[in-house]
Amino acid sequence: MEGKIRDNFIKILSGELKYTSSNLAFNMLISKLQKKIIAAPESVDSCLEEIEGFVVKYPLIAKVDFVNIAAL
Amino acid sequence: MLVTLDEAIALIKSGKFLHIAGDEALLDRLPEGNWIGGTTAFFMASGGGVFTKEKLYVDEFDFAEEMKVAAYGKYNVFQLVEDCYENGLNVIIMPYGSEVVSKYSKEAPEVEELLLHPTIGWVSGLDLNGDGEAKAYDGTTGKSYTDKAVVMFLKLPEGKAAQINLINIFEDDKADPVITFPESSLSVESCLVDGQELNFADYIDKKGIDSGMPLVADYNGVYLNISIKGIENGRVDLYAPVIKNIEYRFAARVEDYEKEFLARVNAASSVRPVLCCNCIINYLNGNLEGKKIPPFLGPVTFGEVAYQLLNQTLVYCEIV
Repeated sequence: MEGKIRDNFIKILSGELKYTSSNLAFNMLISKLQKKIIAAPESVDSCLEEIEGFVVKYPLIAKVDFVNIAAL
Repeated sequence: MLVTLDEAIALIKSGKFLHIAGDEALLDRLPEGNWIGGTTAFFMASGGGVFTKEKLYVDEFDFAEEMKVAAYGKYNVFQLVEDCYENGLNVIIMPYGSEVVSKYSKEAPEVEELLLHPTIGWVSGLDLNGDGEAKAYDGTTGKSYTDKAVVMFLKLPEGKAAQINLINIFEDDKADPVITFPESSLSVESCLVDGQELNFADYIDKKGIDSGMPLVADYNGVYLNISIKGIENGRVDLYAPVIKNIEYRFAARVEDYEKEFLARVNAASSVRPVLCCNCIINYLNGNLEGKKIPPFLGPVTFGEVAYQLLNQTLVYCEIV
């Protein structure tokens, strides 16, 4: 993950940007990672890896979210 | 679909992968086969919401390539994350009041990789007179459990994915104070209200909060409920646990439960669920007896699972 999409995901996970997916699991994951980052701000990279893991596993579902988040 | 005992037996004998809900007396008479089941006597049927001990509710999982079933106790329930298919759907049934429900409900939100494995299901129950026992059935062995979760793992074809979603009529009132809890628990004494430690039962009493309204937590724009079971001797008992470090607020008042629930159902009526479970509180407070809520058909349940345990929610799964 790189460029604007990475920047926007960091902003979403830090609460700077608001994005709600239509996918329940993705929202739960974002919520979980937001709390993780609040507790351990240095965990941003590992959180991004978790996001990437979800996206790789469910490209069909996450494709729309990626397009939307890139456009934020 | 609601079927007779004989029809259910014929479906089992055909070798189909099945999810079956019904009264204990009927489930006990089913033969071994590719099915899992749980007890309830309330259903959302094509003819409308219904209470019956004469029929069984059956879902056919004809979208799956393979299936396997496992039963888990409280010590190994999260083994399901290891045992499931890489691209699949996990359907879990847990008996009401069992320790495995308690364990699952408290720990699921923190289980690594659970969100990578679509997991939907329900808590089996009793009729409201308390007759019988809440059970989960493993049809592949013919065994039933009051203390174990039964999980059907379904393998999906390449290019297909399971997508779980929910319908919840509740949202929080952002003007209300934030409530947090020191521990994940199904029975709560103390809480922090905007950082101040208080007795939770006293707080509900003094604020005049309607305990019929659930606590809700905002999971990135999705609201998940925790319903109050009862308040006694300074303790508040819950149908699902509050989770440590999650911020809750009481749900904003819903003036007309039935109208709100049906409006949410109508708004989601274009979905094509392969499995659906609706909370008994929605059934009762939403006056769903006799009411049709297509395309949402399935058991009425005593707790719903969409990855984690939820309350007062309709959960469903689509294959996309």
